[in-house]
Amino acid sequence: MKDPSFDTDPDRLGALLRASRATPPLPPRFQENVWRRIEYAATHATPLERDSWFDALATWILRPRLAFVAVAVLVLTGVGLGWSKGEQLARQDAQARYLAAVAPNPLR
Amino acid sequence: MRRSTIIVLIALFAGVALFAGSYLITQQLCTKHLVGSADDLTWLRQEFHLSDGELANVRELHQGYLPKCAEMCTKIAAKKREIEATLTTNNLNEARESLGRELDELALLRAKCQFQMLQHFSDVSRAMPPEQGRRYLAEMQRLTLGFHEQIEQSMSGSADHAHGHH
Repeated sequence: MKDPSFDTDPDRLGALLRASRATPPLPPRFQENVWRRIEYAATHATPLERDSWFDALATWILRPRLAFVAVAVLVLTGVGLGWSKGEQLARQDAQARYLAAVAPNPLR
Repeated sequence: MRRSTIIVLIALFAGVALFAGSYLITQQLCTKHLVGSADDLTWLRQEFHLSDGELANVRELHQGYLPKCAEMCTKIAAKKREIEATLTTNNLNEARESLGRELDELALLRAKCQFQMLQHFSDVSRAMPPEQGRRYLAEMQRLTLGFHEQIEQSMSGSADHAHGHH
């Protein structure tokens, strides 16, 4: 038989439905076991074990300290070599300029 | 494409771009700065480590030499124009005598000019410290007369080679 009070009181219906659902109990020490597995994965799973060497390389590259060092090394090396080459070019230009002044091409 | 592949490729590209960018920009700035502040004698001062006093002496010699050099260059250019005119207006057989004379005059002018140039190099070398002066003289002879020697040696080498085949 339909209880007419459910039409007027929906909260009562909701409470009755929630009470009717069976919630199985969690296994013993469930939460502790979950955390233990998380900690194990974090400490033991190295990139090489986890993925291929390429993934490990990508992970390694993305480390901020390495990225900073790499940027610094590349910029400093580029500036150093560029300065050296610039000096060499300027020296050649200066030599050509002196030669053009004192020994024009028809004489060489 | 896998995510790790993209990361590695981007990192490589960024590294190459960073290095090339810093290299090229620095090279451009350095060259521009050094060339912009240079004059005719900058190379002498840097290469032969001249003091201000030595450079002033060399500059005086240089300024004295330039008008003489320009005068000789003008004479050589005029003689070359004369030869070109002879070649274009006359038949080569008819102009043989005048052409020969003009070529002799051109060669004489070039020889005088070279002699004057070598004298100037000698004067400049004496205005430098002895060791640097010797180095300067050797370097200038290599850069000016050495070029002809290389050509002559290569020509005589190829001539010997050609004779060997006959």
